[in-house]
Amino acid sequence: MNQERPVLVRLQDVRKSFPVKGDRGRRAVLRAVDGVSLDVFTGETLGLVGESGCGKSTLGRCIVRLTELSSGTVEVAGTDISRLGQRRLRPLRQRMQMVFQDPYSSLNPRQRIESSINLTLRTADNPTKAAIAARVRELLELVGLQPEHAHRFPHEFSGGQRQRIGIARALAAQPDLIVADEPVSALDVSIQAQVINLFMDLQKKLGLTYIFIAHDLSVVRQISDRIAVMYLGKIVEIGPTEDLVERPMHPYTRALLAAVPVPVVSPGPRAPRAALTGDVPSPVNPPSGCRFHPRCPISTDRCRTEEPALTGRGPLGRKVACHYPLSTE
Amino acid sequence: MNTSTTPPSLLDVQDLRVHIRTERGTVTVVQGVALTVQANEVLCIVGESGSGKSVTMLSVMRLLDEKAVTYEGSIKFQGRELLDLPARQMRAVRGAGIAMIFQDPMTALNPVYRVGWQIAEQLRAHRNLSRRQARTETLRLLTAVGIGDPGRRIDNYPHELSGGLRQRVMIALALSCRPKILIADEPTTALDVTVQSQILQLIFDLRADTGMAVVLVTHDMGVVAEIADRVQVMYGGNVVEHGTTTDIFNDPHHPYTAGLLASIPRLDQPRPARLPSIAGTPASAGNIAPGCVFAARCPHRFDACSTQPELRTVGDAGHQVACHLDLTVADHRAVPVGDATGTEGTDLL
Repeated sequence: MNQERPVLVRLQDVRKSFPVKGDRGRRAVLRAVDGVSLDVFTGETLGLVGESGCGKSTLGRCIVRLTELSSGTVEVAGTDISRLGQRRLRPLRQRMQMVFQDPYSSLNPRQRIESSINLTLRTADNPTKAAIAARVRELLELVGLQPEHAHRFPHEFSGGQRQRIGIARALAAQPDLIVADEPVSALDVSIQAQVINLFMDLQKKLGLTYIFIAHDLSVVRQISDRIAVMYLGKIVEIGPTEDLVERPMHPYTRALLAAVPVPVVSPGPRAPRAALTGDVPSPVNPPSGCRFHPRCPISTDRCRTEEPALTGRGPLGRKVACHYPLSTE
Repeated sequence: MNTSTTPPSLLDVQDLRVHIRTERGTVTVVQGVALTVQANEVLCIVGESGSGKSVTMLSVMRLLDEKAVTYEGSIKFQGRELLDLPARQMRAVRGAGIAMIFQDPMTALNPVYRVGWQIAEQLRAHRNLSRRQARTETLRLLTAVGIGDPGRRIDNYPHELSGGLRQRVMIALALSCRPKILIADEPTTALDVTVQSQILQLIFDLRADTGMAVVLVTHDMGVVAEIADRVQVMYGGNVVEHGTTTDIFNDPHHPYTAGLLASIPRLDQPRPARLPSIAGTPASAGNIAPGCVFAARCPHRFDACSTQPELRTVGDAGHQVACHLDLTVADHRAVPVGDATGTEGTDLL
């Protein structure tokens, strides 16, 4: 909301496409991310939501450059990292870390927790052994684990604890930015809440900036200052969390919100209600015009031919890509 | 197998215990579960990983590896004891009596056969239809589960379908033998929310059309609120609470049920500064101390919790809870389940 906040990450027209086999083995191009521009402010949490195949994970990987961009630029703290060589990238990379969905497959099963974490520490500086051990203990305590856990193996931990280890490892490099890709979706509900709280506590304590990628809007809303909604490689709506959740302007955002089942029983007979029909179309062959038009309840001829641009609406920094944005009262 | 006298319950499970032999000794993963299913109702079984919810349902289908598993107790389907049934007769119960669908339809469908063929084969085997009749019936089933353009989809291979369509095919396959009970184990967990709501609506509508009973296994309380008539909450291989959907959501007695409900981030309410969460780690089978299964994580723990509480009726008939205390919504609000900023389960296996 405050225009003066410093920008940590600036994406400009980021695109990423993959060559795939299309119909009858013909070569085709999958545009996973198709022209995304946005700013992430220092100290905020930007939630990135969308259904499978919308490109949210690819975008996250582009930001930390685990995936090379096809075109566009990613600026981190003013430096364009999209074309930097490995040597110049490395010091910047330590400032951005990633936390993954499955903490088990992202930890080496034959390595003690200590080694998993201090690998990052050793690359970072040239510290003494004792200093490394002390730092590992400190990191484990920071994420709510016991220092003596350092000598254990990943299989000795539960899912929630493994995710804490994944977070500790990301923190080892003392990053400014953490890109978390579905970090709680593999966890049990009661544990999910613990890990969300941990993310929020760490942000307060360390002044971190998060890009929090998830498909679950209720989780994203809990943790995010702003939310960006993606559909088939594009941002269709972005804005401050409460404003966007209470007054969705894009029909897709509204449908996503309506599809989240609410744990409240209404009197009378049960009846689930489907908010949208059909599946997400293939990003290899996205629909013409507005990509959401085949599933949109209010689409017109204009939507079939003319692609809406992401334009600002209202004073709160909302942007919507829709020809007919919903009530703005 | 239509008996003229209507049995009291379609499915009646009593004091079911499931022991699994592992390299490290025998583990009792289901510890005395009772459940009943009536025709035309939706029963939801809720619980986290390791609660025994899936194993209970796999036991009903007798789909566990019986070389490694021993059962105790009773599973009666239409009055007939399934645990004593020879494999051959059990096969006749699966499909026509009780059908089951799973979380990942890709692993349940055969990738080298067209989906239509897989359904038709089942129709020919179980219902003695001719090739032509089977194809007509397959088209009808695909239409019934809401697949647009069934004439084309019938000749698709599983990999050519999206996750939502595959789950619809699985449901068509399950319905093909007109089961009395459909068991759905996390059927929407792998799907996007917009597709999830479509599949739930489909299951709900089919229940109304066919009169079959649905047992839905899920960890998602939101899904439960939308679809269930009755709810059974499981934890660590035990049923800790059972009641109507209204009982469970509006008047949860068990601290675990209350904690589970509190820890869900909710779109319909202002967001809290912190989410309430249940301290500790879910109990896993073989790692449970004697006494109440939830005691290690319970904020209301006291001396009596070292003995296991029996399920007892509270309030309305049918509302049962396995807790030594008689807690109400107000009690749960006063002493919320632990907030775990700190350590999680320090005493590991």
